[in-house]
Amino acid sequence: MTEPALLSKRLVVVTGKGGTGKSTVSAALGLAAARRGKKVLVCEVVARERVADFFGKPPSGTKIRELLPNLYSVHVRPREAMREYALMTIKYETIYKIAFENPAARYFLAAAPSLSEIVMLGKVWWHAAHDSERGRLRWDLVILDAPATGHGLTFLTVPEVFLRLVNEGPLARDMHGMQSLLADPAQCSVCVVTLPEEMPANEAIELDAALRKHGFPPGPLFLNAWFASRFSPQELAQVTRGGPMLMAAGEAADNHESRAALSAHYGGVLREAVQRPILPVPFFFERQFGAQAIDKVARAIESAL
Amino acid sequence: MKPLIEVLRGRKIICCVGSGGVGKTTTAAAIALREAMDGKKVLVLTIDPARRLANSLGLRELGNEETRIDPEMFSRAGLTPRGEMWAMMLDLKHTWDELVRMQARTAQQAEAILANKLYQTLSTAMAGSLEYMAMEKVYEVHTSRRFDVVILDTPPTTNALDFLHAAARILDVLDNNAMKIVLGPMMKAGKFGLKLLAAPSGLVLRTLSRFTGSDFLRDLAGFMMAFEGMYEGFKARATRVKALLTSRDAAFVLVTSPNPLTIEEALFFHKALADDAIQTAAVIVNRVQRDPRRHGGPDTLSALQEALQLAQIKDAGAPLLSERLSQTLTDQAALADLDRRQVERLRTTLHGVPLFSVPRLRKDVHDLAGLWQIDGYLGENGGD
Repeated sequence: MTEPALLSKRLVVVTGKGGTGKSTVSAALGLAAARRGKKVLVCEVVARERVADFFGKPPSGTKIRELLPNLYSVHVRPREAMREYALMTIKYETIYKIAFENPAARYFLAAAPSLSEIVMLGKVWWHAAHDSERGRLRWDLVILDAPATGHGLTFLTVPEVFLRLVNEGPLARDMHGMQSLLADPAQCSVCVVTLPEEMPANEAIELDAALRKHGFPPGPLFLNAWFASRFSPQELAQVTRGGPMLMAAGEAADNHESRAALSAHYGGVLREAVQRPILPVPFFFERQFGAQAIDKVARAIESAL
Repeated sequence: MKPLIEVLRGRKIICCVGSGGVGKTTTAAAIALREAMDGKKVLVLTIDPARRLANSLGLRELGNEETRIDPEMFSRAGLTPRGEMWAMMLDLKHTWDELVRMQARTAQQAEAILANKLYQTLSTAMAGSLEYMAMEKVYEVHTSRRFDVVILDTPPTTNALDFLHAAARILDVLDNNAMKIVLGPMMKAGKFGLKLLAAPSGLVLRTLSRFTGSDFLRDLAGFMMAFEGMYEGFKARATRVKALLTSRDAAFVLVTSPNPLTIEEALFFHKALADDAIQTAAVIVNRVQRDPRRHGGPDTLSALQEALQLAQIKDAGAPLLSERLSQTLTDQAALADLDRRQVERLRTTLHGVPLFSVPRLRKDVHDLAGLWQIDGYLGENGGD
């Protein structure tokens, strides 16, 4: 079995509009890679973590937790990330406390442009590029479940913005490190998740352009909740005109085909406008969105990759 | 049950809140359309960086300017509004600049702030900035009395808590005594007219500067100096904005989809509003799957095969047409069941809040005709 290029990266970033299924895709990619024997860490940088719950596990919180063999997740939150990150630079807990945990510094840290994004991205970067045990990197693959579109782009461009303001000190040095990892197509891939609907598709097109403009290596665009057509136009016409006995079946078939038509339409629109491979992820009719559904999504993604 | 338009009667500011991807912008635009049809001069204000509203109104560009929706678009949709519908997309930086110019004591002070490198980043990148400026813009438009009703399409729920507190938090940062003490030596040096502010001194400042570099601290000290004397004006205004939004003039409409995660976020938001003593005026659930079985008729495989036979439709293909129909009915019934349970959960928890359920439409809404179709579900039967 050849390994999909996407799963051989060091860092895979999953971006997209809210509600398109970024966490689902992140979890599925993690599962696919873990099954190939890779040690995977999924970093969730959103307000509420979801991935652990998909696998029926309690929230990981800010401590790395194992979800399945080889698959781990962590919820990256600004305050804890700040502490970890600052301690790495400053080394002494006492000085950290004096400098960072006094009321003045709290305000100062709130004012520093995007400092919370910086430390969160910094943590992800550290796991991807520096976190090692016994001389070997601890993670084969780090997956970043990034914030929604507008915030996602802000998040990834934070090193760029910061370096425009500050170009000295340990933080600036690390920002350079993050920037070069995020720009290296051999090590990093930035994916987009969207839905076959007008506004998500349009946002995906804008996001694709913005990501390319900033030089992030383009990963696939996952077209989530994809409906494949089930009925030919002739069948549909017959069934919808089939009289009262087929009213329910006709409406169901018509609903299904209208969603399939949207899927095909926006698939086409995206193929025209976006300069990255498009992977449809089928819609799964699950009563409970759990490990089974993630497994189905993972298999669908693997076969498409 | 009262139609939504009745529920919102007399409100001059309507904030549509909820998580991302639930159709907030479309809902805001549908409410605006209805207000315009009923004779109001209405402005819908979106603050989303992507051009959602522009998309749904068929507008190409939507700058920081109030743009009237072309009456031609209404007639194309077969609609004759008695009022006017306007739209605007918030330009974050521009709104900050306007506010600074308004509050500065002298033009010189305004220029000093606008030119500060840190201000430029702060105004666009600081968390809560978007929320603060959206509120500011709503206030500005409201007090200008240019419109009868202003409808605000807010950013996703994850920022929602910031919404009413963003201004206070940002202003706290700008006017913080503790910070002034820390930065004091640098600010003092600046006051004596030294071109270059003093180097950071003291343990706290030195440690922080190892983390951020001293340039940043200089910019910060410079910024705080430039801002001095302006806080009071900013604060007084922010207090008035908040008072307006918590008054009877404003209404909050919670928008969600039947997805369990977004329902949870909606409940979370409802609670956050309640903590500020704000009642949720109405809740709108978008994209609810309707159950095709409500029509009755056969839904088992054998009954479907019989029905096809009776209708003289050939049961062919692989899998057979009857099998595919049966599967499709099962799939959609499952989705409808899921949605129904979620809507009921919401209805029970938000007891007494008018709830409107908008079915998943066959096509995307991207014009006035589509928005008008949505309005049809915001009537007295709550979409059922």
